[in-house]
Amino acid sequence: MTAPEVTSERSTASGRAAVKTMAQAIAATLDREMSRDPNVVIIGEDVGKRGGVFLATDKLFDKYGPDRVIDSPLSEAAIIGAALGMAVYGLRPVAEIQFSDYVFPGFDQLVSQVAKIRYRSGGVFSAPLVVRMPAGGGVRGGHHHSQNPDAHFVHTAGLKVVYPSTPSDSAGLLRSAIRDDDPVIVMEPKRLYRSVKEEVPEDDHLVEIGRAAVRREGEDVVLVSYGGSMAETLKAADALAEQGVGAQVIDLRSLQPWDEELVLQAAARVGRVVLVSESPRSAGFMSEVSATISEEVMDSLLAPPLRVTGFDTPYPYAQDREYLPSPNRILRAVERALTY
Amino acid sequence: MIRESQGFQPFTDEPIRLVGDGGEWLGPAEVDLDRENLGPERLKGFYLDMLTGRLIDERLGRLQRQGKTSFVAPSSGHEAAQVGMAHALRKGHDWVFPYYRDVSLLLALGMPVVEFAGQSFGTRADTARGRQMPYHPGSAELNVFTVASPIASHIPPAVGTALAMKLAGKSQVTLCSFGDGATSEGDWHAGVNLAGAQGAPIVFACQNNGYAISVDLKKQTGSDNIAVKAHAYGMPGYLVDGMDVLASYLVAREAVERAREGVGPSIVEFVVYRYGGHSSADDDGRYRPRQEVELWRRRDPLDRYRRFLERRGLWDDAAEEQARAEIDATLADGIQRALEAGPVPVEWMFEDVYADMPSRLAKQREELIG
Repeated sequence: MTAPEVTSERSTASGRAAVKTMAQAIAATLDREMSRDPNVVIIGEDVGKRGGVFLATDKLFDKYGPDRVIDSPLSEAAIIGAALGMAVYGLRPVAEIQFSDYVFPGFDQLVSQVAKIRYRSGGVFSAPLVVRMPAGGGVRGGHHHSQNPDAHFVHTAGLKVVYPSTPSDSAGLLRSAIRDDDPVIVMEPKRLYRSVKEEVPEDDHLVEIGRAAVRREGEDVVLVSYGGSMAETLKAADALAEQGVGAQVIDLRSLQPWDEELVLQAAARVGRVVLVSESPRSAGFMSEVSATISEEVMDSLLAPPLRVTGFDTPYPYAQDREYLPSPNRILRAVERALTY
Repeated sequence: MIRESQGFQPFTDEPIRLVGDGGEWLGPAEVDLDRENLGPERLKGFYLDMLTGRLIDERLGRLQRQGKTSFVAPSSGHEAAQVGMAHALRKGHDWVFPYYRDVSLLLALGMPVVEFAGQSFGTRADTARGRQMPYHPGSAELNVFTVASPIASHIPPAVGTALAMKLAGKSQVTLCSFGDGATSEGDWHAGVNLAGAQGAPIVFACQNNGYAISVDLKKQTGSDNIAVKAHAYGMPGYLVDGMDVLASYLVAREAVERAREGVGPSIVEFVVYRYGGHSSADDDGRYRPRQEVELWRRRDPLDRYRRFLERRGLWDDAAEEQARAEIDATLADGIQRALEAGPVPVEWMFEDVYADMPSRLAKQREELIG
């Protein structure tokens, strides 16, 4: 791992802000939430002295000690299960799963316990906890360091799922997740942890869960994406702009709940929609978005909603780049939508 | 043997037993039960709680056969272990993570009959609003974590609650109850291992009745017993006669107080036997002979303990008759009220998924209700 980059700080019109990478923004947000609320605790593998393998919990162990920054045994079931027990008692735990590919030993805890405790207790108990996990490909990690298992969580009633694509959103969504009274899965696009830097507000910056963001305005086609694939989607939009094609780009940011209203309005107005996600295609999240668009605004569509996704294979190693939706694949789908 | 200064021996070859089949005291002669906080009222209280557990088990079993409830998880034979654990805890202060066969534990902790029965019937008397099948209750007032069916999935959460208690510093203890089959699950290892590594204030209470539905202990584990597994996790493992309420109580108390004082977690294995099938959906005649059941019934926890009380002049036929009549009346009343509470409304299906209902779910509710 490379050393964290030095951040520069300066004041902005909206208050203090600092230029940060996504990993730095996450660590800073955890720090501020832990200092604000003594009930916020961290549990995970290597989150202590190591500061997390991606340094998302950097320096927190030194500041808050081993009772609030808990180095767990190598057991995702223990991490997620213990986080639930803490949350039921009244704490606000933030669990870290080292890679989303390793969440599966803890999957039963998520599905059987975390997602259902409010429901099965009739609201007597609840699970105000966060499970953070680096997800997605583009780091030449093969299938056990690159998968994007977002649909599993969206399919599990009781969980909320957010998936930021910028340092600022990763701070704002994480803060909202920690303060939310329901369990929130925070998926972090690991290939963007250090590649993007931007000003991140240092105040109580919140991004509402369930609210998408418009990244580009355009009237010819709507591109909808989230997480790691936002980078390629924006490149495709830039290429389209050079050709004189206006693409509206929507960053979903939250998958459960998702901003149905914004997406449906855009789809109805423009009539052509391309949905971009690096998850496998079959029963992926974009299948749900596509189905909803078809059910709700069919009369306004000029072309069927088209998906550009990862493939229905395990995530490959040698074809790391080819698996991911590339700007060219997105452009081909746009071409099809425009000429339908 | 049961004085605080000495403590019970962990890892014994034979279960710790204090009362014999004839009700005779097997413990050290010099033990003064009064000094152990076991005065006559407490001793009789153990019996009343066990009798309550036995009678509700029989009563709900009859209701199931009459079609008035869909399912029961028989617990006759488990009463001494469960009542022993309940009395070892500070009710409403400590936390309990039960499994589905814990009716005696829950009633002895103070769960009202109407709540337990209401949960089983899924009526408005159910504090959980009709969400789960019978024998899956919980209680905020009593700090009882709502039961879940997936075996051992409550064990890592129990350890998390124990770790939170440690942080809160209120001298609380978590007790986590499960059967012998649970010890084969990965989540059992995950939880017990975490508790050992962190020194969590928790007691793992295994009610080993020898069967996980039909699979007997020899097929469940190569270990001699469950308690011995504690050694590998760096904690004491106590092997107890779970059909002896005094042994169950005193060993559980020692484990609970050990956790409360910050010494660390422990495993207590209560050797019990379930007289009934795994559940009302089971046919236990397919996997165990009747003679085996009859053999275990001779060590019945209620009969044995009643003889103990009678030897001390604390119980007789008249007391038995009166106790049964009172408990029967209480059970009948609670069950009646649970039934009469009426069905829960259909729209409750959509509530408590999240703190606030998402718009998508509200639309789905409209789709059903109109």
